[in-house]
Amino acid sequence: MHSSTFSNQLIDSQTLPDLELLPKQPLSSRYAKTNMVVILVSTILTILVVLAVKYQPFLEIPAHITNLLGFAIWLIAALGFIMIVYRRLADPLKSYALREHDLSYSAGLVFKKTVTQPIVRIQHIELKRGPIERKVGLATIQVFSAGGALETFQIPGLPLAQAQKLREFILRHKGSIEHA
Amino acid sequence: MPNTKLSGNDAANTHEETTSEVNTHESSHLSGNYQNNQAQTKQWQRLSPIAILFFAMSFIQGLFGQLIYIAPALIIGYKQITENPTLWLPIVITLLTVLAISAVLKFYYFQYRLSKNTIEIRAGVFKKSHTNLPFSRIQNVKLEQPIYYRLTGYACLQLDTAGSSKQEVKIAALPLAFAEALKKEILAQHEKHNNEDCSDDKKPLASTLSTHDTNLTSAQQETLLNTRSVKDLIIHGVTSNRIWIFLGASAPFFDNAYAFINEKLSNYGINLAAAFDLNTHSWLEVGLYALTITFLMMFALTLFSILGSVMTFYGYTLSKVGDKYIRRSGLFTKHEVTMRLSRLQMIIQKQDWLDMVLKRINLKFEQSGAKLYGASTQALNNKIMVPSITPEQSLQLINEVYPENNLSTVNFTAISKHFLVRYLAYMLLPLFAFCQSTLLYTAQYELAASLIVPFVFIGFLIVMRWYRWGYASDEHFIYVRKGYVGVDYYCFPIYKVQQTTLKQSIMMEKSQLATTRFILAAGTITIPYLSQNAAYQLLNKTLMQVESSDKSWM
Repeated sequence: MHSSTFSNQLIDSQTLPDLELLPKQPLSSRYAKTNMVVILVSTILTILVVLAVKYQPFLEIPAHITNLLGFAIWLIAALGFIMIVYRRLADPLKSYALREHDLSYSAGLVFKKTVTQPIVRIQHIELKRGPIERKVGLATIQVFSAGGALETFQIPGLPLAQAQKLREFILRHKGSIEHA
Repeated sequence: MPNTKLSGNDAANTHEETTSEVNTHESSHLSGNYQNNQAQTKQWQRLSPIAILFFAMSFIQGLFGQLIYIAPALIIGYKQITENPTLWLPIVITLLTVLAISAVLKFYYFQYRLSKNTIEIRAGVFKKSHTNLPFSRIQNVKLEQPIYYRLTGYACLQLDTAGSSKQEVKIAALPLAFAEALKKEILAQHEKHNNEDCSDDKKPLASTLSTHDTNLTSAQQETLLNTRSVKDLIIHGVTSNRIWIFLGASAPFFDNAYAFINEKLSNYGINLAAAFDLNTHSWLEVGLYALTITFLMMFALTLFSILGSVMTFYGYTLSKVGDKYIRRSGLFTKHEVTMRLSRLQMIIQKQDWLDMVLKRINLKFEQSGAKLYGASTQALNNKIMVPSITPEQSLQLINEVYPENNLSTVNFTAISKHFLVRYLAYMLLPLFAFCQSTLLYTAQYELAASLIVPFVFIGFLIVMRWYRWGYASDEHFIYVRKGYVGVDYYCFPIYKVQQTTLKQSIMMEKSQLATTRFILAAGTITIPYLSQNAAYQLLNKTLMQVESSDKSWM
């Protein structure tokens, strides 16, 4: 009895919305660039700190620790390099799509993932902007549903104006929020 | 008692809202009832003084929790402490005074008020809190009657809300009848909230009074759906591990129990450390000792588990009033959980291997937010679970709750064999090969041989995992079957889905496979390794239903 109000007329299957054919919109090009700069700068800074520790004139450091520090520098450099390569390949694959009734976000280099959030199930929205994001005019949109904190849906790297428009669209969407 | 009070106040209260002629029975009853409570508790109110007992008990419970840390010190100094009354007497007296004062203060500062659709609570001695809880946001209403309340006719009312921040309100000591009325009130508010299309206007007062009684009696017609006998509970104790309920309740006595057992054992001349000494005993002897002890432990654990099961589920009844399901049970503390049908997110039918042997099923009705609490006693008390029922009873209950479901007849599609390839060929076998080659290389042949057993066992579990995992869907529901040796069935209405995920590795993409996840308010259901086409079909169907349905998920 509890789903008797639901009607399900036959619809031409050609016209049905299909997740597979989602037109994907890329994130801001500034997003990938910013990530690159952040990784590069933080890697170089860490290396500089380790170097400073290694060659500082104030304290006598035992030989095996100096050797370890030398090894650490190479390790940090290698990690930084791997991260840059990974980001270089993975960041351009991140995309989102807004349909009339839902919001999707796709990402992943080896493990591809598409999360779809129906707008009627959204409980609240947040625009998150860290100091770096503020500097480059980007924003992360976070969408919460009753699925729990672990399943928070978020799209990073949106130009601020676009993120605000997205939020407006969701808030104005018929049926969203009022259920919450 | 409150009922007479309620109707007495009816006439005194007039409504600000305009009254209209056309009305339904339902709404008039609701407004009538609602008015009454408002009249009764417009002002800030204190609880009954019996609540002092409750606050004292929760203080003691809190204290016992802390006591575990100083218990070893107490046991060691036991003799000294008993011999020096001058030392412990002041401590005990101070403790008792603090206990009494804190309970009275907590009672004094706890005030509640019912105003329009909202319950407000002011509490706290040092840290003041003011909670404002609209009825429409209350997820779950629970009545609890601790053993020391049994004679007094009072009950605790616990109100849970769903939301990112965990918010719970416990009102200790309301008269049972008033608590029941309030509960009905809150649940009625939901009905009103959900039937927004229905006329929301109020009826003229005269007819409110006349319909009041008839509606009240019709609302009280409860149909009993299921009861559990002690025998069922014993079976449940054996098949499910309910030991932590018992352990949780007896935690304060652990140290004593351990000391007691140790003492008894040494009385019989058994020294555990010596018994397991390989220098004085052969492998066989030690092995037998270990086996005996394991069996004894298993026996004791099962016994405790049975105790736990009886403690939580004693006097189990599941009944139905209108669209509300009510679970009552409990040996010492009686729990009552009420769930509106619309709050139900998912049905889980669980059968462990032992359940399969005994042909019993644990049926769970999952509400939202259940996972917030994790695996605690609390979670079990908030859920509506029907322990160890027969398959026929389970089918009957599922059909009663979701008449349109086809769980018993639906054909499950198995997930792809690539699941096996991934876990067996890419993960287990390489690990096995690595372990064996290192062990053989270092000439530890015995260990290498004995390692085959766990690997074969894990392999068996993976195969069973694959064999069990299947999915199906019909017009309104998605069904998932999974498990290892036992089988669990999950069934949820498609429109309850909150979010969907499609996952695909490059390997899976090549073989046209995908993994889907359905995120519900009660948890996440994963279907791995199904064909890409089926995955997209399932997701498109789900999104279509969620987005076109105007039904609220809660």
